[in-house]
Amino acid sequence: MSPSDIEARPKQKVERREESTRPGTYFLPAVDIFETSDELVLVADMPGVPPDAVDIHLEGNELGIEGRVRIEDYEGLKPLHVEYGVGGYQRRFTLGEAIDRQNIKAQMKKGVLMLQLPKAEHARPRRITVQAT
Amino acid sequence: MTLTYRDPFEQLQNELDRMLGAALGSVGSAGLYPPVNVFDAADAFVVKAELPGVTPEQVQIEVENETLTLRGARAFSEPSGEAAYHRRERGVGQFRRVVRLPGRLDPEGANAEYRNGVLTVRIAKARETRPRRIEIQAS
Repeated sequence: MSPSDIEARPKQKVERREESTRPGTYFLPAVDIFETSDELVLVADMPGVPPDAVDIHLEGNELGIEGRVRIEDYEGLKPLHVEYGVGGYQRRFTLGEAIDRQNIKAQMKKGVLMLQLPKAEHARPRRITVQAT
Repeated sequence: MTLTYRDPFEQLQNELDRMLGAALGSVGSAGLYPPVNVFDAADAFVVKAELPGVTPEQVQIEVENETLTLRGARAFSEPSGEAAYHRRERGVGQFRRVVRLPGRLDPEGANAEYRNGVLTVRIAKARETRPRRIEIQAS
């Protein structure tokens, strides 16, 4: 029987953390980013991160996401075989579009962050309809 | 006198890094999905798998002899309308992973929990392989 369609990629460690306020190991989350005519959507895998441990910051056109895991979940466990590291997640993006900051929507479910960034009115493509007279 | 302050979070993380680092003999899962970490919890084995975005009801978990099998699928986060992708790093599709544990298992004593995208399966060791404490009798 065939194994999996999905290939696991090793988690990549964040080596240099500027402005870090919290110590610890951080990894780059895998993301999907897509764009529709009126919004940018970012989907990030952050397994182990509870909904209340996510930070999103947007400064100028720099978007940063960060999530922290509950290390306590590992207390009393002795590792026998390790395939992935455990730590927080952090990643930065530069946005090419002006964003309507008031209407950003974020949802964290099952270890997946879904961020909807609506484009600012002036950045949206406009369709001008010619009215028949 | 020197004062050293240690963030308890940092301490725990360092400890975990050290523990995981020491056990990280063969790095990675050679692309096998999902990646798993296996722990010894005295009377049980604990297997943790990173499976973000999966519907837990659709994950099949089987325990037989010394192996644990995880089967399921990870769906695509389909945009509702027309969309252009800038990045696509998240893997999607079916998965099947067989994990051989270092000891016999008691399939009756297994339970699973899915929280924040991490699946934790706890399987009791077969009775005869559990550590036993033997008391020395006073004569």
